Amino acid sequence: MKLLPHAGGVRASVAAALAVLAIYAGLIVSLLWFFDTGILRETLFSERTLFSVRLSLMAATLATLLALFLAIPAAYALSRYRFWGKEAADTVLEFPIIVSPAALGAIILIFFNNPLGEWIQENVIYFVFGFAGIVLAQFVTVLGIAVRMLKAAFDAVPLELETVARTLGASPRYSFFTVTLPLARNGLIAAFILAWAKALGEFGATLMVAGSMAMRTETLPIAIYMRLSNADIERTVALIVVLVSIGLTALFTARHILGGGRRA
Amino acid sequence: MLEIEGLAAQAGGFRLQGITLQIGEGECHAVLGPSGSGKSTLLNAVLGTLPVSSGTLRLAGEDLTRLPVERRRLGYVPQHLGLFPHLMVLDNLIYSARARRVPAADYQPLLDRLVEITGIGALLSRRIATLSGGERQRVALVRALVANPRLVLLDEPFTALNESLRRELWWLVKDLQRERGLTVMLVTHDLTEAYVLADHITVLIEGRQEQTGDKREVFNRPASLAVARFLGLKNLFPATVVGTAEGRIEAHCPELGLNVGLVGTATVGEAIMIGLRPESVALRDAAHLPRPGECLLRGTVRLVDLGSEVSIHLHPETGGPVVEAVASWRVVERFGLHDGQAGVSMALPKERMFWVRTQ
Repeated sequence: MKLLPHAGGVRASVAAALAVLAIYAGLIVSLLWFFDTGILRETLFSERTLFSVRLSLMAATLATLLALFLAIPAAYALSRYRFWGKEAADTVLEFPIIVSPAALGAIILIFFNNPLGEWIQENVIYFVFGFAGIVLAQFVTVLGIAVRMLKAAFDAVPLELETVARTLGASPRYSFFTVTLPLARNGLIAAFILAWAKALGEFGATLMVAGSMAMRTETLPIAIYMRLSNADIERTVALIVVLVSIGLTALFTARHILGGGRRA
Repeated sequence: MLEIEGLAAQAGGFRLQGITLQIGEGECHAVLGPSGSGKSTLLNAVLGTLPVSSGTLRLAGEDLTRLPVERRRLGYVPQHLGLFPHLMVLDNLIYSARARRVPAADYQPLLDRLVEITGIGALLSRRIATLSGGERQRVALVRALVANPRLVLLDEPFTALNESLRRELWWLVKDLQRERGLTVMLVTHDLTEAYVLADHITVLIEGRQEQTGDKREVFNRPASLAVARFLGLKNLFPATVVGTAEGRIEAHCPELGLNVGLVGTATVGEAIMIGLRPESVALRDAAHLPRPGECLLRGTVRLVDLGSEVSIHLHPETGGPVVEAVASWRVVERFGLHDGQAGVSMALPKERMFWVRTQ
């Protein structure tokens, strides 16, 4: 029999939940100490900031789309099939989480210094210190999370539905696009939004691969780093407000879509 | 229609082997067995979701073993029905037509007729989530049939329903089978469902095909002790073969004190079990004298109320094994029986007895 928790226990538990909110909200509110609307307006509409916003949005969107392009079939295979190397592939999805982004970026940078990496840079596409490098760093960082989230979404679609679709004459591809993917829609949207938000805030790997060059590889997090390095706290705060606003909007959109899906 | 010969299939650590059965056109064949008997493995092999290790699987003469699921032209209603929750009822029903790019003119008459028979016309624009259990069953059945399948596979589709709805749907399936001439393979662990719907029955136990035959034959003359136990037969008595002649055996059952001639072949001295279904045991008046061809027992009865009928357990005066009979309340009242009554007579007709090997 499950006993009702002691009232003291309930209070402590609720207090812990509110403490979590207080920590993050407090950190955000503390920015107000250095908040200056004049500097915010000037920073927001400066060419350099608009470049950073554009670069961040483009790189994060491209990196996320590329990650999903690979993650959808990979997650489906991990969810549905048994194959050699499945366990290793499943475990490696956590790699970007356990390895620090800086180390991940360093690994990518080192790769482009070996003969294969050099050949790719010379003959296919040049990554280091450029837009492609930013996209690659963000792609590698978010790929594991995208696969993990999509696998969970595909796992939630009963295999029986695909079998029924096949007996009704659907090819595996038709069944995937008309049954599996529509039913995994919420997971797909959540994976896109969360991977995109993570890519947008990505700093360590991007810094390693693309460097910190103003008006060239200056994504929003890199811009924050550069302003802070120059002790320009008011402009740093302005950029943080931009980044936090975009990130929180993405998170609340994901929650709204997923909540709406559950109610349906 | 469906011919399975020497089929073996492996699902994880479970192996199904040596399955041989035929399902004729327009026939309903039930595959019965307890859980873990291999029913689902056999169904998946026929469906095409599990590869066949050996043996042949032919449908209307066509080899199915290497044919992908979507080209087998099967109708499938799984236990949880597999209705697509993101589609409306009508979209579910015409899914196969869309997948196969069949023009509406080709499927509409059949769809209209099936919708009419099953009475789901008012549900077509509804969402699946808004349907009741019985409505979902009907939609799943129509969806499987509108594709005009060569064989319909029903995988315990009525287990989640209440008794009255189950019976209603059994009759619907029987009506559809009669009208459409459907060939059906029904996988179930429900004996009543199998008996009502099927013409023939295959009993699987632990991956082996224990018995296949006409349903009456299987229910009245189980081929093994495992089948008899699965069918819930309780009147099983140890006996010994004392004589054999031209496809018949003579068995002696010391517990009942009887000798009985039965069809079959065995060796003299072999230990067997003699069985009799409770429905075959008859109540007799106290003054009744034993007739040739029956074994008469007297004893004390315990009555177990089964609702519409009564299970009567006779504890013989001679101390032999308990014999179980089933009778309607009307019969019980006619004999004036009450629980714990002594001196009750029961007749065990020898011609209804069957035998099974103990191994």
